[in-house]
Amino acid sequence: MGTIQAVADLFQNRQNMFWTLLWEHIHMSLLALLCAIFISVPLGIYLSRKKRIAEPIIGAAAVLQTIPSLALLGFMILLLNEIGTLPAVVALSVYALLPILRNTYTGINEVDPAIKEAATGMGMSSFRRLRKVELPMAIPVIMAGIRTSMVLIVGTATLAALISAGGLGDFIMTGIDRADNAYILLGAIPAALLALFFDFVLRITEKTSQGKALTPVASVLIAALLVAAAPLFTFSQKPDLVIGGKLGAEPEIIANMYKHVIEEETNLQVVVESGFGSTDAAFNALSVDEIDIYPEFTGTAMAALLEETPESGSTEEEVYQQAKKGMAEEYGMVYLEPMQFNNTYAIAMREQQADELGIETISDLEPYTDELTAGFTFEFADREDGYPGIQDVYGLTFENVETMDSGLRTRAVETGQVDFIDAYFTDADMVEYNLRVLEDDKNLFPPYQGAPLMKQETMEAYPQLEILNQLGGEISNEEMQQMNYMVDYNDADPSKVAREYLTDNGFFD
Amino acid sequence: MITFENISKEFQDGTKAVQDFSTTIEKGELFVLIGPSGCGKTTTLKMINRLIEPTQGTIHIEGRNLKNWNKQELRWNIGYVLQQIALFPTMTIEENVAVVPEMRRWGRKQTAERVEELLRMVELDPAVYKKRKPAELSGGEQQRVGVVRALAADPDILIMDEPFSALDPLTREQLQQDIKQLQSRIQKTIVFVTHDMDEALALGDRICMMEGGSIVQVGTPHELTNHPANDFVRDFIGDRINEWDTPVREMMDPQSDYIANIEELPNLPLYPAPLYIFDNDSSFLGRRQGREIIEHDVSITPDMLLKKAVQYFEKTDMDALPVLENGRLIGVLSYKDIVWYMKNIHAQPGKESV
Repeated sequence: MGTIQAVADLFQNRQNMFWTLLWEHIHMSLLALLCAIFISVPLGIYLSRKKRIAEPIIGAAAVLQTIPSLALLGFMILLLNEIGTLPAVVALSVYALLPILRNTYTGINEVDPAIKEAATGMGMSSFRRLRKVELPMAIPVIMAGIRTSMVLIVGTATLAALISAGGLGDFIMTGIDRADNAYILLGAIPAALLALFFDFVLRITEKTSQGKALTPVASVLIAALLVAAAPLFTFSQKPDLVIGGKLGAEPEIIANMYKHVIEEETNLQVVVESGFGSTDAAFNALSVDEIDIYPEFTGTAMAALLEETPESGSTEEEVYQQAKKGMAEEYGMVYLEPMQFNNTYAIAMREQQADELGIETISDLEPYTDELTAGFTFEFADREDGYPGIQDVYGLTFENVETMDSGLRTRAVETGQVDFIDAYFTDADMVEYNLRVLEDDKNLFPPYQGAPLMKQETMEAYPQLEILNQLGGEISNEEMQQMNYMVDYNDADPSKVAREYLTDNGFFD
Repeated sequence: MITFENISKEFQDGTKAVQDFSTTIEKGELFVLIGPSGCGKTTTLKMINRLIEPTQGTIHIEGRNLKNWNKQELRWNIGYVLQQIALFPTMTIEENVAVVPEMRRWGRKQTAERVEELLRMVELDPAVYKKRKPAELSGGEQQRVGVVRALAADPDILIMDEPFSALDPLTREQLQQDIKQLQSRIQKTIVFVTHDMDEALALGDRICMMEGGSIVQVGTPHELTNHPANDFVRDFIGDRINEWDTPVREMMDPQSDYIANIEELPNLPLYPAPLYIFDNDSSFLGRRQGREIIEHDVSITPDMLLKKAVQYFEKTDMDALPVLENGRLIGVLSYKDIVWYMKNIHAQPGKESV
């Protein structure tokens, strides 16, 4: 009951966002379904006339379907050099091809040969036979394929949030990130209801058409087309700048601060597109001009993007200078001044367990490499300044390492499924779950200070962006942790949190 | 008129379905193709509407080579009835019947009238059946629709591929009668494939017996039953000979003692009686009674079947009846002739009467 109440409350608070995301979800799903139909149905018809090439082509569609949906979404970003709705729709369409294609082919092929012969023997042309006899008879089978694809699309579309295409997946991803069931349910339940609703509409359409008239099918197609094409008729002003951010409260707050500062001080129109699943996703988006600026950590820029290791014991300033130089030389990018807080990686474990085992530093883990289970994010497990670094610098290799999404690992350590995790120093979770940060006694982790990263051309086009340097040196660790807590646990709007901070600290005089 | 000239068909897998098939199907006749499975009868049929193309030989319809026809137009002119009935399940009865008229671009009104007329012809009330789907009809009703669908655009030729074999015996017999009646009314050329000899004998004006892709015998039902070309035909027909269905021509006596030229009359004895008299150009003059020649009105024709002829014997007390063809006396049928004929038939080994 508590969960249902929480979902209801969240719905009350997030109504505007809910309707926007629902609309995005519907729009994206219908667009993908229409693409899949317009490709698969004619292709299926064509293949039913060219049986020799049918099996290889249907086989190819089947191979496409075996690609994990998330991988397909990621692949589309690279292929299309773009993020957001387009790659999502393309990936979803590709995903939905097979059921429609196979059912169209099968439906037409399974028309009784005697009936086909009757049609031909009475003097129907191949096209007339298709239109008058075979298609009407195949409609129920084709519709079944379309319904399968529809459910597939509506479900998979929740993953599109990861490549910034929006939709109900935004709620689900936020929910996973914050370990908040209410958010997950607010995304998942409407997505499921949406799938049922579409299925219902299609079933009614099929019943009305009775495999006879194509009119109901056509009218539903047209309605779907109108919905899909709706954004073409609304004129949205294109913003001057798009500020990106990785998934999580902190990047979203920082990105919003950039927006507020830029909009306050200049005439530029700015929108925030946050929620990128990984450093690579955000950096790719910046490379292909999908976003113009995003806050990147100095340490991440060094380790993940430049693949350099800062000299042991480097100061924050030295690391920043090294990263700035590297980004300029290797990528032609401008790296403005970093903020004060240092969201370094940390290894964290339950306070109580740490006390029992007497663990204070990372080195103290050594006797327990066989017994304790590590819970690392995919990114940490792979980064030079992550687990490979721990193996190099500390010489520790853990027997049991579980990799999981960042939103899940705090819960995993809290419930005792894992014993220690990688964490971000400023995470609100550290406060909430009473976790102890183990001292990085061999200085593995470089400083991680957020700073605006953009292309040289962006800076040249908008020299006013220099004003972002005003944020340099702002925000202490405690302040950042506090703001993260506000968003993650009090469900505050990141944009408002950012504005409040700026107002309280005299940015808008 | 449909003419087959040296038609052969070899399928891609090497099967020789039809070999050197030549025959002529007359306008307005019901021509039955019959034979065991795989004899090539269906292949031959489907070459008429070019569902199958011959590998050799030519087919002409009304003297025009089939190859010179537009395939679709050709098919609009040839009604096609299938064993599987194969009504279009998504269309109503009305729409099914209207398929070919629509392709021939008949007007809406003309088509609707034609559909009603045809449904009434096969005793399906249009008000009841027009809007129904094929699945709502019984098998017999469906095939009636199948037949009128083929007739819809008034084609000159109707081809029927074992149209009644999937129906129960009662319905089959009913539909056979229907098609026979229809044939006498509408005078189409009908090519009919069957493997059922009873059906062939009941319906066919002529029957073409096939075996292994070739013609074994073409003839009227009577010719096949009474003069089978070989043992294959005899075996296929089986115990089906009915001597009562034999025409009088087969057993009459053209040189009988019962007939005489009028010029011989004075020299003849008074017996045997009766004596039928003709003149020099064979015209029938009458029956001798005493010294007189009197009018005689009980006569039979050479094509009359025996069972009919014996009814005429019942009308008179004569031992013999004159056989007249176009007013000429061509012979006499006597009790003796009938007995003689019966004796001969049953002298053939293995043949019993029904």
